[in-house]
Amino acid sequence: MYSESSTDKPLPLEGITVCDFTWIVAGPQATRILADLGADVIKVENESYIDSMRWGQQVDPENPSFNGSGFHNNFNRNKRGITANLHHPLGREIVERLIKKSDIVIENYSAGAFARMGFSWDRIQEINPTAIYISLSGFGHTGRDKSYITWGPTAAAVSGCTQMSGFPDKEPAGWGYSYLDHTAGYYGAIAALMALHHRKNTGEAQYVDISQIETGMVLTGVPLLDYQINSRRYERIGNRSRYPAVAPHNTYRCKQDNKGRDSWIAITVEETLQWNALCDLIGDSRLNDDPRFKDNESRKNNEDILDEIISEFTIENEAQSLMYRLQSIGIPAGMCQRTDDKMESDEQLSFRDFYPSAPHDHLGEHRYEGYPAKFSDARWKMERGAPLLGQDTFDVLTNLLEYSPEEVANMIAELAV
Amino acid sequence: MTDSTTVGPLEGLKVLEIGDLAEVAGKLLADAGARVIRIEPPEGAKSRHQGPYVDDIFDVNHSLRFAASNTSKLSITLSLNDSRSEELLVKLFQDVDVILDGSSIGTSNNILMNAEHVLELNPEIIWCSITPFGLTGPWKEWHSSDLVQLALGGPMMSTGYDDHDLPPIRSDGEHSLAIAGEYAVTALLSALWLRDMNDDKPGQIIDVSVHEAVSATTEGAFANWEYMQKIVLRQTGRHAAPVRMSPWQYPCKDGEYVLMMGGGIPREKKIFDQLLEWMDEYQATGDLYDPSYVEVLYTDPTMNVEIRNHVSETIGRFIQLLPAEDVYRRAQDLHLPWGLVRRPEENLDDPHWKEREFWWEGEISGYQSTVLYPGAPYKFEKSPVYLRRRPPLLGEHNYQIYAGELGYSQAKLIAFAESGVV
Repeated sequence: MYSESSTDKPLPLEGITVCDFTWIVAGPQATRILADLGADVIKVENESYIDSMRWGQQVDPENPSFNGSGFHNNFNRNKRGITANLHHPLGREIVERLIKKSDIVIENYSAGAFARMGFSWDRIQEINPTAIYISLSGFGHTGRDKSYITWGPTAAAVSGCTQMSGFPDKEPAGWGYSYLDHTAGYYGAIAALMALHHRKNTGEAQYVDISQIETGMVLTGVPLLDYQINSRRYERIGNRSRYPAVAPHNTYRCKQDNKGRDSWIAITVEETLQWNALCDLIGDSRLNDDPRFKDNESRKNNEDILDEIISEFTIENEAQSLMYRLQSIGIPAGMCQRTDDKMESDEQLSFRDFYPSAPHDHLGEHRYEGYPAKFSDARWKMERGAPLLGQDTFDVLTNLLEYSPEEVANMIAELAV
Repeated sequence: MTDSTTVGPLEGLKVLEIGDLAEVAGKLLADAGARVIRIEPPEGAKSRHQGPYVDDIFDVNHSLRFAASNTSKLSITLSLNDSRSEELLVKLFQDVDVILDGSSIGTSNNILMNAEHVLELNPEIIWCSITPFGLTGPWKEWHSSDLVQLALGGPMMSTGYDDHDLPPIRSDGEHSLAIAGEYAVTALLSALWLRDMNDDKPGQIIDVSVHEAVSATTEGAFANWEYMQKIVLRQTGRHAAPVRMSPWQYPCKDGEYVLMMGGGIPREKKIFDQLLEWMDEYQATGDLYDPSYVEVLYTDPTMNVEIRNHVSETIGRFIQLLPAEDVYRRAQDLHLPWGLVRRPEENLDDPHWKEREFWWEGEISGYQSTVLYPGAPYKFEKSPVYLRRRPPLLGEHNYQIYAGELGYSQAKLIAFAESGVV
């Protein structure tokens, strides 16, 4: 039912064209989803507004290249890439023709920047009244602070997500990467699909204004309500669980892994059966007989000593094999995996072919993160890596945008592309 | 007639939600105008049994956990493990576009909960399953929790403190459910698009894996390994990286933290000069006026780490002299992407979000006043996404759906209720 190899299954978004002015991470994450699902995403760049992530994480730092970033490659796979010089009338005309052909126009510049480049919402509507416009910015396109700018960690800080991470007696741990770049990207793709549905039902195109910080604020609903109703200010909880108040619920240190690195396992016990199974496995009389651990409430009240005893057991064990043993007796457990664990020894990700490979014209054949769903009667694709800078200019201009080869040659001569 | 200004982008879409892993996906659809009926077991969904509660007193209708993820939905009760529920389910499946199935494998043992069987009943249904590890594979029946998902998927090993005697950290907020829910919505809306744009492409089954969704949400850690065989190390309040970097986050004069993105060094020399002027007002430039710093920061392609760390730490010492709010505002005025590390509730008073009409004022069962719910992160110009109704009471819509729409008599309904089916 779920065989991925059969390319005769349809790509759900085949036929959708996206004019993609996104860069860095959040915007490219949105269009990556659309491209994986089959939309023809045309990424527009120029040397004066290049995606700066092309310089990030160069695979060969001695020989840096626009096309040498694995990071950029992973976020821009399956897209096509063109260049257009917006300072040249012919370059502007290319973008206008592309907008005319597009179902969706999307960008993630600072508020107002795309309009200053000549593409306000009014102008987009003039060019193509059926085009949907999605903007992704830090604070949104309205409001007092709309000129403020964010990267993922800035948005996490302001939204409250950074505060909600770490120990109560230590500073906030935050997120160790730009989580809200992913999240803003996910909401960007959701908004594009919702707007397509609305257009399908009503014929109406529209503008959608997305704020990256708001994509983080929607994840803080519980503390927001708790503050308003119970006057409780948010306090961090480490890896324990306040709601539901269950114990044990923590990460426990294991033996160093075979590469000599620190190693940890997450264990959560929510039911009596699981607690009994855990006690049997650990086999420590201090757990079985002590009234401090007799029920969940007692365990919660004595969590420090409980976690200490469990740690004495886990430190003698190797995380991965302990995870299998705990799972086999019905206890939710998982080792804290690093990327090499996920990519080289995670049996589940491997079974489901989560890291398919595809060619890239500069970096060669590489694996990519998959799209996390399988369809019974459709598919997502992993066809090609990110476009080299301007790789598809000729193809897109002559086929999709109906320029003649002579016209394209002239544009090249005039530096319009 | 519906007022055209209140027609959401998904108006007309009919969704049934079951299980506990689809809450976020269901909320996203419901707030956007889809009619989402949550089918709960007679004792109520799991999140109704998780606090916090209004006034800290347990009541299935007063859970703030439930409220946060169930706005705009309808609630009916049905015991899916009871074979007598079949009759009701068959009727419910007659007129629905999407089934959001967040029940873990093994719990939905009712024959009708078998997706392929339901598709025979109504071939236009998009059945979107969200399970911890997917419907196939060696871990498909493994036990899971949010903590386990953030451990296995990778976010934790990138998050924590410089001190690696402290464990990797799971950020609070059930993020694995959010991530999977967001991906599920992209998948099911795409499948709906395919269905609706083609006469011959009916419904289908979608298999969303929480583990995969989280695994795809770790930014740079993936490429570091795939291209350079490097592993990133967790660091306090900043990006995990293959090598240790200087801090990005400092406590200011009032004890509140400010995040200086990337360690605070501006990307443009012009802004660096303005930052130095600001620091100079407090005699806090240290030795940064030495021109060799500018040279290294803005012309040296090797990005000398020692120099950058020194500059960054000097800026960090400076911001500790001022109140956090002042640092944040002045930095943003200089186009520096720095952020105040706020508690969630501190956003409630920020005029910016009020001007954007971000908050949704609404009711919550058990509480006298209205509350502000976080709204949607997207503003649709023509088809607003908004709070359709407060989170439903348990089984609040049993009568409306079973009697009003499916045509059961009151007597029959009472009989169902007494026998524990609804």
